[in-house]
Amino acid sequence: MSELLHVLVGQLARLGLNYSFLLESHASGKLLDGALTTLWLCLWSIVGSLLVGVLLAAAVTSARRWLQWPARAFIEVTRNTPTLVQLYCAFLVLNMLINQSLGNANPMTPFAWVVLVISLHKGAFHAEALRAGIEAVPAVTLEAASSLAFSRRQQLFQVQLPLAVRFALPALVNNLIDLVKMTAVASAIAVNDITYASIMIWTQGDNVIELMILILAFYGLLSFAVNCAGRAVEARLRMPGYGN
Amino acid sequence: MATEHLATLWHWAPTLGMGLLQNIQMSVGAIGLGTLLGLLVGLLLLSPLAPVRALARLWVQVFRNAPWLVLIYFTSYVFPFDIQVGSTWVAFPDWLKVTVGLALPASANVAEIFRGAVASIPATQWEAARSLAFSRGQILRSIILPQCLRRMLPPWMNLYAVVTMGTALASLVGVHDLIDSAQIAANTVNRSGFTVLVYFSVLALFFAYCYPIARLTQRLERRYAF
Repeated sequence: MSELLHVLVGQLARLGLNYSFLLESHASGKLLDGALTTLWLCLWSIVGSLLVGVLLAAAVTSARRWLQWPARAFIEVTRNTPTLVQLYCAFLVLNMLINQSLGNANPMTPFAWVVLVISLHKGAFHAEALRAGIEAVPAVTLEAASSLAFSRRQQLFQVQLPLAVRFALPALVNNLIDLVKMTAVASAIAVNDITYASIMIWTQGDNVIELMILILAFYGLLSFAVNCAGRAVEARLRMPGYGN
Repeated sequence: MATEHLATLWHWAPTLGMGLLQNIQMSVGAIGLGTLLGLLVGLLLLSPLAPVRALARLWVQVFRNAPWLVLIYFTSYVFPFDIQVGSTWVAFPDWLKVTVGLALPASANVAEIFRGAVASIPATQWEAARSLAFSRGQILRSIILPQCLRRMLPPWMNLYAVVTMGTALASLVGVHDLIDSAQIAANTVNRSGFTVLVYFSVLALFFAYCYPIARLTQRLERRYAF
């Protein structure tokens, strides 16, 4: 493995790219740590955002006004404000308030705040995609379900959502790719993700371009993986006559 | 207590306003530059030459799949502080670097919007025009593009709102924008009540700027729906 790395670094040096920092255990350890943190960030916030998305979509399409209104307002505010500002409102403001009331007992780490904010942010986008999917379910299907004595909740979870997910899947996968890219904001509050690790390395050496190429490739690979997973799920869920 | 904080916020309002103007300046510059570049790349995407198309597609893929924050770091660390034009040195300020950093992904998105709009014109129009002996350039100029403009407007406005929200990242590379002003205000006053107020004001300001654009986009989409 290290042999291969040596050869690769040597080849890249010929192109004028100085990747020798990869051979130092300090820098490469930091990058590897960062890559792992980014992976965990993505995994947790993908799960979180999908949960938030389903809950918000259920609230927005509900017949109850007191559920519908707050959810609608939350989605509009979330979609029309920058993630970084939301992150600051959470980490610098809410975290400060929690710290003031609980002191050192504050259970929230910067990592947890990033997962929470990204989950809520992307959840709002998922909710919009799912809402469109839910509204695309034909009315006759719902009438058939209610004539079979399905309750409102059963209709949502057993009829509407399974169909809505199929309609919304391309949009959801798009959102998830966006989510992967969005995790880079974690570096703003010093979560040790791959972006932060690269900043730490390039402030000590003069290798911005090399590190940029490396992390762009990393994010590209991650988005590609999400895209492939999305395609696989789409193929698995495909139902003749629904979606495309 | 609350009125005291509001008074302090009023005192800081000019600073915050200047910060917001900086954000708006960057967003307008980025969408302008991004649109010009994007239309160029979009035209190359339609080129009959395969290598040109491949290059344009590479541009779109790279800049659409890169995190915006990483591109902003990229442009602000890679570009020099000043450029030599003739014999004079012209300063290359941070906000301009961020503008370029945002224009890159914006251009990739504009190219995709453009390609989508051209693809949405029925192929029969191309064939009909070809049968009337129009050349490829003439078809594009006088038949296809005029119809594309209207279809591109809603997604383009959407992109502008997204770019505006992207300018918030500028504070991370030291541009004196709205968020930076808010941080300075919060740290100078150093009262938790004021900190809450100032950050939520920033949220409200961005919302007040982006939400009308989003609503207008929805209205246009509905009107142009086919």
